[in-house]
Amino acid sequence: MGIVTRRGLIRRLGAGALGGAAVLGGRGLALAQEHSDMTGGQHSDMSQPGQLGHGAGSLGAVGTVDHGRNGFDPTKILTDFDYGETSKDRSGRTVHEYDFLALDKEIEVAPGVFFPAWTYNGRVPAPTIRATEGDRIRIKLVNASAHNHTIHTHGIHPAGMDGVPGAGEVAPGEEFVYDFIADPFGTHLYHCHSLPLAQHIHRGLYGALIIDPKKGRPDAHEMVMVMNAFDTNFDGSNEVYAINTVAFHYMNDPIKINAGELQRAHVINITEFDPLNSIHIHANFFHLYRTGTSLEPDEFTDTISMGQAERHMIEFTYREPGRFMFHAHQTEFVELGWMSSFEVS
Amino acid sequence: MATITAGSRRIPTWLTGLVPIVAIAALVFVFLVVNPIATLRQIPPVEAIAFERTIFQENGIELQLRNDGPDPVRIAQVLVNDAYWDFSATDANLGRLETSDLRIPYPWEDGMPVNIALITSTGVTIEHEVEVAALTPEPDASTLGIYALLGLYIGVIPVAIGLMWFPSLRRADKRWLNFFLALTLGLLVFLLIDTVAEGLELSAATPATLNGLSLFALGALGAVLGLMALEVKLNARRHGAQTGSTAVGGLALAYLIAGGIGLHNMGEGLAVGAALATGETALGTFLVLGFALHNTTEGLAIVAPLGRANEQRPSLWHFAALGAVAGVPTIFGAWLGGFAYSPAWAALAFGVAAGAIAQVLWQIGRAMSKDRGLTSKLGPAGFIAGFMVMYVTGLFAA
Repeated sequence: MGIVTRRGLIRRLGAGALGGAAVLGGRGLALAQEHSDMTGGQHSDMSQPGQLGHGAGSLGAVGTVDHGRNGFDPTKILTDFDYGETSKDRSGRTVHEYDFLALDKEIEVAPGVFFPAWTYNGRVPAPTIRATEGDRIRIKLVNASAHNHTIHTHGIHPAGMDGVPGAGEVAPGEEFVYDFIADPFGTHLYHCHSLPLAQHIHRGLYGALIIDPKKGRPDAHEMVMVMNAFDTNFDGSNEVYAINTVAFHYMNDPIKINAGELQRAHVINITEFDPLNSIHIHANFFHLYRTGTSLEPDEFTDTISMGQAERHMIEFTYREPGRFMFHAHQTEFVELGWMSSFEVS
Repeated sequence: MATITAGSRRIPTWLTGLVPIVAIAALVFVFLVVNPIATLRQIPPVEAIAFERTIFQENGIELQLRNDGPDPVRIAQVLVNDAYWDFSATDANLGRLETSDLRIPYPWEDGMPVNIALITSTGVTIEHEVEVAALTPEPDASTLGIYALLGLYIGVIPVAIGLMWFPSLRRADKRWLNFFLALTLGLLVFLLIDTVAEGLELSAATPATLNGLSLFALGALGAVLGLMALEVKLNARRHGAQTGSTAVGGLALAYLIAGGIGLHNMGEGLAVGAALATGETALGTFLVLGFALHNTTEGLAIVAPLGRANEQRPSLWHFAALGAVAGVPTIFGAWLGGFAYSPAWAALAFGVAAGAIAQVLWQIGRAMSKDRGLTSKLGPAGFIAGFMVMYVTGLFAA
């Protein structure tokens, strides 16, 4: 009966057996509690080529996300460009009008994992605003949530339309119209700029803002990919990484594209808590248009890293059919949900 | 007033005894149906899961989980070393105190740490860190045999060797007998302190809702009261035989000591078996030798009360039985620890061991007080020597 050894052993055993206890702070959980269908116990089918299936079990979330309950589907978000209510003003300028509603909503970010999101129009990412440079954009924000919010667009606009505390911040129950000219052309974003900032961004208040050049661009199959992440246990680091919110979504439901067709993806990084995110496409290279603000590509590569709010337009064409992965090249993010694939036919 | 009094007299006693039971049943019913607490509980749920057992198999990891918190928990996803991993669960929805087995087909690496995080439906993560992954032994014939052999080496054989001190004790004069009885006392006090300390640590490691401290206390009090009842029975028999003594005789005392030490050794086997099974320690030669050396002195403690001159020499089979009572539980402990470890049961087992040792201490103390054993010349020296022997041999098992 070794005094030191036995005590040591028992202590270590005890620590192992004790497990963990977690206390949840200040969260709305109605949806999580009523959500009754069990996701555990089902093995998802990951045997298809191009997915990470291998002999000893596989990477990936177990079960499926109920997009109907979420009210949005990442596959549809990909190509859902919102031009708003369009009209011409007296000068003949095209006006895009949007109605935005700030809403607190619990969303499923991985199968069975619910996150108390703050949203514009109930979806994360928020609607993709799209217009041509020089058009007028008018966004009416009605705040139906419990906190102050703004819409801060990345673009060139007057100070009063910046969407920050003191300039267009909307208190609960109030509203404000952001009115500005689409400028410059490129792949941009908008997000809430109320304080505390990290909370307001990470909770889901962001979306893509795409301004097309007047001259237009060549025909292509266009997609919006918002690289985001969720700190589901609120400890300052993320448990879920994805593009367009749902972990492993495009791994389980690959993006269907055509061989020989030009692909144009607007890739936007809004990941909170990590200094960088990245995108890497398999078995191909892409032309990189930094911030989408040029008509000529800046670079020809297969991997690009971005800080928060950095965004680029990438163009590529797959020559042959097949399944091709694309994912962050921070492999930690890959294994936490940011894994996707193209199904080229 | 008078009528009420008259009426109450007519109510049978058993019925009046039922009144509080009916009242508490009504209260429970009201709480379950109306749920008046719900209006007070605006706070979010507290989600807690205890990892009762982690089993590493050739093709994956199995976790035995228990909901250790006040609220239901739904396990939505499992992360292994920061990667979402495929898993299956017997039940992913765990009500209060409910258990579930989780299977993760993860290609774990021998000798490396593994971090497992359960993500609940609310996004909370509950983590479990395994310091060193190692294949968990299956309870088949060969591993059962190995654990039995281990119990034999650290429990049975050393105790049997210790019993061989009997002939020399028999020849020793009374002063030295008192010395050895005092030494036994010191030895047992050491074991008691050790057992209580470990039992308390296990209590702390037990899932909070199972209240490990109460389990430990239950075991201890149960052992003390049980042995007291046994003593009363033994005394009654002796009174029938007209011996007239209130203290237990030498052989009975030896059995009591053997029983107490046996229970203690079961805890010891439990600890070693569990540590080996969970890969927490390697079975080193020094560890086994240390335990063996340490436990040899326990044999001496058992035969010490038989050395007194007024004692008859017991027949040989008694020695075999004493050795078995003190040593064999080590084997069962090793099996339990290796294949069915849970801190709650271990806390209870250590409680029983502590209670048994305390009771034996009381018995020896009473037996010795007759001849002023502890206050005799060599008494204090014996006591300290016993304690020191345990301490020093314990260092070998460190």
